Amino acid sequence: MFEARLVQGGLLKKVLDSIKDLVTDANFDCSPNGFSLQAMDSSHVSLVALLLRSDGFDHYRADRPISMGMNLNNMAKMLKCAGNDDIITMKAEDAGDTVTFMFESPNQERISDFELKLMDIDSEQLGIPDTDYAATVKMPASEFQRICKDLASIGDTVLISVTKDGVKFSTTGDIGSANITCRQNTSVDKPEEQTTIELNEPVCLSFALRYLNSFAKATPLSHTVTLSMSKELPVVVEYRIGDLGHIRFYLAPKIEDEEMEDEA
Amino acid sequence: MGIKGLSKLLGDNAPQSFREQKFENYFGRKLAIDASVHIYQFLVVVGRTGDQMLTSETGEVTSHLQGMFFRTARMLEAGMKPVYVFDGKPPALKQEELARRSERRGDAVENLADAKETGEEADVAKYSKRTVKVTRQHNEECRRLLQLMGVPVVEAPSEAEAQCAAMCKEGLVYAMASEDMDSLTFAAPRLTRNLMAPASQKLPVNEYEYAKVLEGLNLTAEQFIDLCILCGCDYCGSIRGIGPTRALQMIQKHGGLEDVLAALDKTKYDIPDPFPYQQARQLFTEPEVLRAEQLAPLKWSPPDLEGIVKFLVEEKNFNEDRVRKAVDRINASRSKSTQGRLESFFGPSTVKSSTQGKRKDPPTGKGKQGGKRGGKAGGVSKRK
Repeated sequence: MFEARLVQGGLLKKVLDSIKDLVTDANFDCSPNGFSLQAMDSSHVSLVALLLRSDGFDHYRADRPISMGMNLNNMAKMLKCAGNDDIITMKAEDAGDTVTFMFESPNQERISDFELKLMDIDSEQLGIPDTDYAATVKMPASEFQRICKDLASIGDTVLISVTKDGVKFSTTGDIGSANITCRQNTSVDKPEEQTTIELNEPVCLSFALRYLNSFAKATPLSHTVTLSMSKELPVVVEYRIGDLGHIRFYLAPKIEDEEMEDEA
Repeated sequence: MGIKGLSKLLGDNAPQSFREQKFENYFGRKLAIDASVHIYQFLVVVGRTGDQMLTSETGEVTSHLQGMFFRTARMLEAGMKPVYVFDGKPPALKQEELARRSERRGDAVENLADAKETGEEADVAKYSKRTVKVTRQHNEECRRLLQLMGVPVVEAPSEAEAQCAAMCKEGLVYAMASEDMDSLTFAAPRLTRNLMAPASQKLPVNEYEYAKVLEGLNLTAEQFIDLCILCGCDYCGSIRGIGPTRALQMIQKHGGLEDVLAALDKTKYDIPDPFPYQQARQLFTEPEVLRAEQLAPLKWSPPDLEGIVKFLVEEKNFNEDRVRKAVDRINASRSKSTQGRLESFFGPSTVKSSTQGKRKDPPTGKGKQGGKRGGKAGGVSKRK
């Protein structure tokens, strides 16, 4: 038996909206620790890791670990029917082949039940090692979203370079080029508007903007975003979800190809 | 061609052995392509109306070049690294099959003449397709074109499928592309079909995994070869009345081809004479191929625009604008850095299945669920 009740049901809606374009089918793991998911896009370039800790829920019960396969678009369709202020409860029987989403309006006047058919999915998982990253940038999520959106109109690849002074996003396309630098800025009163950089070593990596823009759909979940980078490693784009947990996106960098011979 | 009924047999008995992949997802991958099968396909389908094919002003057929150029360009544009493998001398055992094909072509030529007389257009197209033969000139022209495009070419000592499979086994390429299912009999770890299908058809690429084929059919590698021989391969005749499903049952029951043949009711089934299954088996297990160290290193060089224009436009009357644009697109894609994959940083993925819910396809072996899920659970808790 699995049951989880979330008063801030809107969070679950936002989580789904941020991953459903990246991944079509995924297994949700319900364990005593919490509600989690790891999934890759079909080209294996990006990975999403979601964790909603059990103690962040208002009520949480998972008798034994189960893994529920869902089509994320179908799940999103059902969650769309929940109001933003609704309380959402998820329920599944151990041997069942459905999951139930119950939506309660804040004043308890409207209660809806949506039952989603589960699927048996073989999902491919990666073991992600713990890493001390060379550079960690924390910045306003809306700022990161704007940069990715603006640069995507110029080019398709962004070069992210982090130095102790700031983080620079650069792109080049057919019509020209663009550079946006965000300086380290800790003077602002509100912590969520600060840009902070922890740096062991300057880093410079290239990424496909298409994926970063897809990750930025998680912006409504959090005021700040953290980018963690190391030389020749995938970037981690992390959004904290209040006290509940986090959603992390991993993206493989673009690399130079040695087998392509250059013009002689 | 290939193994009779094998793809259907896999669909019914080992649905987990293949899956649909998007064409775009093969970016950065090296792929060994069985040239002969695809040249043949191009001659059959590209630009054909009735018995008319694409030709240059002088009346030479150019369907194969049209197909080869634009579909290879599409792969290069998507960042793939194709290497074409051409057939060498066919094994002696295949002579009989080749003679049969040649005879069929002869029949088709007669039928085509009849159809033209009666004016049945559908028949004209049908029989004209059957008369298609890949000539030495077709192969030569394709080689020349590929060289101009900067795509490596490998000359197989014998069968191209066997050579592709060997390159895939040795890790020189990620997968091989062929439409012939006997690639799996040569134990190619990964076979893709429909990779060269035209973009307009929007066919998903089918990727077969050899290990999962064996797992799904519950056979050893040796038994799988026996199964293929029993289904009917290019190297020996087949037994009338035994189709793929029967063949699978019998191999599963008796274990090997010798025992199947011993148990076979000779009054009901005619075993062809000769039935050189042992030699066929040897051709599949020890085909004549070049090993990795015997091959030149695979390199993809920039396309020679002027050379391509001279060949395709001046000699073969291709539309200059289209050719130049295609080369531009190849160059544009070459100038970009390659997208990495997460596996190259985090190691290979493991498969984890749901514990609840209904499978769309029939389930396969159950053993694989438990252990891997445990591994995943550990990974999650570690990351917290």
